[in-house]
Amino acid sequence: MRLRNCSGNIARLRNAAAVAVICVGAMAGLAAAQGGQLRFCLHNEPKTFNPQQVDDDAAASIRYLTGGVLIRLNRQTQRLEAELAESWKISKDGREISFKLRSGITFSDGTPFTAEDVAYTMQQLMDPALHSPTGDSFRSGTGKVEARVISPTQISIQFPAEVAGLDRLFDQVAILSQNSPKKEMAVLGPFMVADYKPGATVLLQRNPNYWKKDEQGRRLPYLDSILLNIQTNHDVEMLQFKRGELDLINTLDSEYFDKLAATSPQVVHDAGPSLDSEQLWFNEVAKAPIPPYKREWFRSADFRRAISESINREDLSRIVYHGHAQPAMGPFSPANKFWFNASLKPPVYSPDAALKALAADGFRLENGTLKDKSGNAVEFSIITNAGNKARERMAVLIQDDLQKIGIHVNVVTLDFPSLIERMTQSFDYDAIILGLTNVDLDPNEEMNVWLSSAANHQWNPQQKTPETDWEAEIDRFMRAQASSSDPKKRKAAFDRVQEIVVEEQPFIFLINKNALSAVSARVHGAAPVILSPQTFWNAERLTVSGN
Amino acid sequence: MHSLRWKIAGHALSLLATVLLGGLLSATLVRLAPGFDTDERVLDPHLNAASVQALENARHRDDNIFYFYCSYLSRAAHGDLGNSVALGQPVRVLLRERIPLTVRLLGIGLGLSWILASTLALTAAWLRLSIYDAMTTVVSGGLLCLPAAVLALLSVLWNVPGSIAIALIVFPHTYRYARNLLVKVYSRPHILAARARGLGEARILFWHVVPTVMPQMLALAGVSVSMAIGAAIPVEALCGLPGIGELAWQAALARDLPLLVNITVLVTLVTLLANSSADVIGSMFRRQEA
Repeated sequence: MRLRNCSGNIARLRNAAAVAVICVGAMAGLAAAQGGQLRFCLHNEPKTFNPQQVDDDAAASIRYLTGGVLIRLNRQTQRLEAELAESWKISKDGREISFKLRSGITFSDGTPFTAEDVAYTMQQLMDPALHSPTGDSFRSGTGKVEARVISPTQISIQFPAEVAGLDRLFDQVAILSQNSPKKEMAVLGPFMVADYKPGATVLLQRNPNYWKKDEQGRRLPYLDSILLNIQTNHDVEMLQFKRGELDLINTLDSEYFDKLAATSPQVVHDAGPSLDSEQLWFNEVAKAPIPPYKREWFRSADFRRAISESINREDLSRIVYHGHAQPAMGPFSPANKFWFNASLKPPVYSPDAALKALAADGFRLENGTLKDKSGNAVEFSIITNAGNKARERMAVLIQDDLQKIGIHVNVVTLDFPSLIERMTQSFDYDAIILGLTNVDLDPNEEMNVWLSSAANHQWNPQQKTPETDWEAEIDRFMRAQASSSDPKKRKAAFDRVQEIVVEEQPFIFLINKNALSAVSARVHGAAPVILSPQTFWNAERLTVSGN
Repeated sequence: MHSLRWKIAGHALSLLATVLLGGLLSATLVRLAPGFDTDERVLDPHLNAASVQALENARHRDDNIFYFYCSYLSRAAHGDLGNSVALGQPVRVLLRERIPLTVRLLGIGLGLSWILASTLALTAAWLRLSIYDAMTTVVSGGLLCLPAAVLALLSVLWNVPGSIAIALIVFPHTYRYARNLLVKVYSRPHILAARARGLGEARILFWHVVPTVMPQMLALAGVSVSMAIGAAIPVEALCGLPGIGELAWQAALARDLPLLVNITVLVTLVTLLANSSADVIGSMFRRQEA
């Protein structure tokens, strides 16, 4: 017994010593890893450092790294977390949100943070002359947004009408200082802009007044600085990463991913299907300068469903994306955990079923050419943006797939401004392949896509009244989900929208790309996710070794 | 001297007219380009109808090209070059930030190409060896066949400065002309006679060859500046160098009318100044020689 006790003590001592060694080692490692500079690329010049005027990816990345927000969407768990607000509450009618703010926080220049700053931020953001995408997301009805300061740490914001998913929208609202002479350059986020060399680099330095601490009580962020290279050329970015001049590539295409994986499999990350989708749609605009018989095809749901059934999405994923994409089921990717309608069936590839459906609609196959009931050969062109290799390849594969059911497709590539002009102004096109980049989880952000009166209702925009019954139904359900603050009711409404879209195929969803990224072995703590910013969403906790 | 003044005045007038015409032509071409009056931002689903309308109105402001150009000239006369539509910054700031890099790139590139071309051309004229001629012809011919974009991509791949790519793009043009010129001059009877009398190569070069070839070489120098500027666009765009060439590429893709017009005016001005200067200095040499 004694002996057992003694051996137990020795074992305990040994374990304690081992734990101590691990702790000391880990702390030493962390201490060694603290500081340093993280380097990665922005793919365009940031148009602004004012977080309220952000409308491009580069500026959005800088806003994410420098802006302090009241509520942050955790990119990993897809849940909202309290940041500058200790807690918040939304009124039952969904028109008011009250925040209890953290106290003792200062901006990067030392100016204290109070509820007055939140009121000032909202007042600036909701200025109609600003035309801010972030501000527009809050506009649910006509009337003013009122911010009522209750105390230095309490504020209530009232909206003229119910705003669906109101708390989530604050993830994009970086708080400005009302009193700082530095204006928008005084920030509450982990980093602050220290230097900007136009066309070349943006240097972010650690915000010395950042309020967050880690579990051990150390101040965040760990990094000293982040150097953002402005680099529009992805080939150069890839070369710089290979040479060790960059630490992250936030979004990789599948070709680069496989090249990197072949030489350094430990640096590439495939986080699975992202929220982004690629889709094809036909021109259903009444005034479009296309022959009436083509408009009749494009407006037929049977025709669209047949085209959808004739496209081999597995091939698109395998050949174009090297397996780093999944066949798309509908408007939302399964990656959107809450909003995806799990009852949707995966798309079926069946050219025979497509031909049968077309035959029922009056189409017939003559000498390998599909003809409509008036004898017109079924032929159309697909346009997409030049330079996007994946879309160009998808168009060619679709051309090949449709040839099997007697449809002749011409593939045309245009530069982006020309494509937008055809898509939004002249409507001079048959079909388009483009992608939808979803940065937000909530369907309310897509009101301007699904409402028949919206400008981004691409297949037939800005309808005065819905031209089809199913579009009227989508309008009704989209409005229903937007006017409810009950998540269950909203989900039920949007589930129905997804079912209608899959049934009517106004967008023929092709694939959901996987979120591919690369993280150098120098970087510690990175956990790439599907939501933007994929690799540096937890930048305040990243460390780099070797510099 | 009087005629030289007239020549300079004539050059200045034609320069001004060409710059103005170049600017107008550029503005007209951009205005007529498909997609001129569209803005990628209208596809942002977050924007409401009023914001989309505001974006469209901003684009339609420059619909009347003559009105745009007249107001541009009037503002430019007061030092205001307008604002870039795509980058949202004053054009004057954008140009000021990017000119130094392009000047450095072109300066080093042109310098290297001229040192290489003149050294090889002079050696070819001195040696008159068919094997040497064949080798340099193959090298310069090979470089001449390579598109500027390929050389730019190779410079990215091999991590070579962009100025080397510029030098290699301009080199074959200057080398072939300089070599033919020097060989021709070294074959002239008075040079042969000077050599026969035992004059040193340096004396022959600086007293007899340089004054003869200088007007043509200066003209070639003027042309090589425009060649280098043309090469700067693919080199900067592909190498990711933030200079005027890369700015021009971005502006063209975004149909950024104010930026493109200013860059066109700037490039036209530099090209014409280089050519006019070469012409005026060349005519001074010719007069001295006469």
